[in-house]
Amino acid sequence: MPTSKHAYPFRWRVMDAIEGAASILWPSRFSRGLPYLMLLPAVLLVMLLVIGMIQIAESSAHTLDRTTFLASEDYTGANYSQIFSTGLYWTVLWRSLLGSVIVTAICLVFAFPYSYLMVRTPSALLRKFLLIALFLPFFIGQVVRAYGWLIILGNQGVANGLLGLVGIEPIRLLYNYPAVLFGLVQYMLPFAVLMLAPALTAIPEEMESAANSLGASWWRTFIHIVLPLAKPGLVGAGLVVLTLSLTDFAMPAILGGGSQDFIANAIYDQFFRTSDQGMGAALTLILVGVGSLAVGLVFTLFGAGTLAMGRDKK
Amino acid sequence: MTKTTSILALTRRRFLGGAAALGGLAATGWTGRAFAQEPEKPAEIIVRAWGGSWVAALQAGVSDPFTAATGIAVRHDLTEDNEIQPKVWAAVAQGRVPPIHINWDTTTNATKSALRGVTEDLSDLPNLANTTELAKPVGLDGYPIVNTYGYVYVLAYRPSAFPDGAPASLQVLLDPKFKGRIALYNDGIGFHFPAQVAGGGKLEDIPANMEPAWEFIRKVKAQEPLLGEDPDFTTWFQNGEIDLAVTISTNAREAMKNGIDLAWTVPEEGSKFETDGLWIPKGLPANELYWAKQYINFALTVEAQQVWLDGLGLPGVVPGVTPPEGLAGDPSYPTEPEDFKRLIRIPTAIQVEHESDWFSQFKAIMQG
Repeated sequence: MPTSKHAYPFRWRVMDAIEGAASILWPSRFSRGLPYLMLLPAVLLVMLLVIGMIQIAESSAHTLDRTTFLASEDYTGANYSQIFSTGLYWTVLWRSLLGSVIVTAICLVFAFPYSYLMVRTPSALLRKFLLIALFLPFFIGQVVRAYGWLIILGNQGVANGLLGLVGIEPIRLLYNYPAVLFGLVQYMLPFAVLMLAPALTAIPEEMESAANSLGASWWRTFIHIVLPLAKPGLVGAGLVVLTLSLTDFAMPAILGGGSQDFIANAIYDQFFRTSDQGMGAALTLILVGVGSLAVGLVFTLFGAGTLAMGRDKK
Repeated sequence: MTKTTSILALTRRRFLGGAAALGGLAATGWTGRAFAQEPEKPAEIIVRAWGGSWVAALQAGVSDPFTAATGIAVRHDLTEDNEIQPKVWAAVAQGRVPPIHINWDTTTNATKSALRGVTEDLSDLPNLANTTELAKPVGLDGYPIVNTYGYVYVLAYRPSAFPDGAPASLQVLLDPKFKGRIALYNDGIGFHFPAQVAGGGKLEDIPANMEPAWEFIRKVKAQEPLLGEDPDFTTWFQNGEIDLAVTISTNAREAMKNGIDLAWTVPEEGSKFETDGLWIPKGLPANELYWAKQYINFALTVEAQQVWLDGLGLPGVVPGVTPPEGLAGDPSYPTEPEDFKRLIRIPTAIQVEHESDWFSQFKAIMQG
């Protein structure tokens, strides 16, 4: 009986051909390099950022010549001297740091029960509701949300309207530091939940059941089992919220009424309001430095959390 | 069946339309020169503008008639003036075509661009011959910018909060009953100079000694003012957030048009008078530069100024423009030398050199 020309399906032969072509283009001896090849686009992207940072660093070493509105030829540290000797920048930097720490702490406290309920609830309906409520804000940009708060918290807004029903005169709920922090917490909370949920999912429910069956109360189980095992998620969520809050622009600009600037607002002012790119660049580098120090401090104290992808120090 | 019409077919409607456009060109100062060696028309020109009532006025007064007369569409880019500036500067420095054809800008900002050398000279615009001296930028060679109107940073107020009449002095900003209900620009623009007088200082001391201004602003800071940009003032008045603001009269007028009871005054300390202008960045193709110049030339006609500045409620630079209803003799609409006596004008050169210091000082006080 003659051997059929079609012993293998056509699709298999196509796959063989593709594999053959691939082995010519990328021989098997190169296989160890495949992960690096896949890493290449990300590395190139980061390299672009690094090149940008180098240019910003170079720009920060030039002052603005106000007779020509061009950068000076000479290299100087004058921009940095001015920043460190000006109270305004210390105030703004401190406000940004303190605000980001407060927002991070509040977000972690609020995100934990939300995430826990979302991953542990036996009700599919409740889980879906929590997921929808989590993702819905992502469809609304930060600026739109901030303007939404202007409508809700304004002197003639919903909140003051409700206060008016019980005879309370309108009070200023906007354009102050708490309003900025409130807006940031509302904006950052979904990020924290998203970072925490996978870490909580990874905690086996059986461990909580075992603790319960050994007589531990819900509180003791939470303190001694859930919280320590959730630490990587807390650290990861904290890092993301901390860095995003530290560099935020829109919430301080819109909800702060012009008097609660964060460092990003000061950078904007230098680049766009006073045309002083050197000063703006110097402030940018300082922000990057402060943010990196804060992240480094968290890494040192708590490890990298979920960002270490399971290779955190034990 | 599809009806087709030759573009060469001369219908009665086309003839009348063409005749009207030609008549409009002639009436607005467009000479036969426009037809002698007319460069190729671009599909559109891009004009950076402020939004809201500002761009609506420009469109009605200048852009739409320009399009009707030339067939060139005008696109308004509403990027903030401060944000477009570095983009234009970078484009010129890198030899790229700039992102806009015309920048509608404050004279102070535009002067920075002129000093940097990124502006085209507009001295050859025929309609400059019909303008007042306000159109000429001070301290610059030629016309790297053409000023197109002036404006006043008035003290706008809610009449219901002032039953005894308009506030006479800026000292009203320190009245405890207005705590949290006053607004200024977030960089203090328009307020530095009147504050210098309100703080007991002299205008002649600017910029050498502005401590009186900063001292007064420190007192105002204790009143927890709101700080914002042009659209914020209109919104804040409309939402009942503020009773007093130092702002351009156009913003208060816009809120009034929306049904808010507002008025404005020039306080005894005086109000800052400033100008805005139009300029063209370097690096445009020759034909686009030509038509951008024609746009600015058209903006300097009486007809264009009449409609544009009716919308803004501001005095122009071409004689013969009739003030909008209710603004003749208004302190925000100065036209005669007598009108300028209560207004504060600081030379552009001083403002350009020191403005960032003043902004920083104001911020330092307000952010503290």
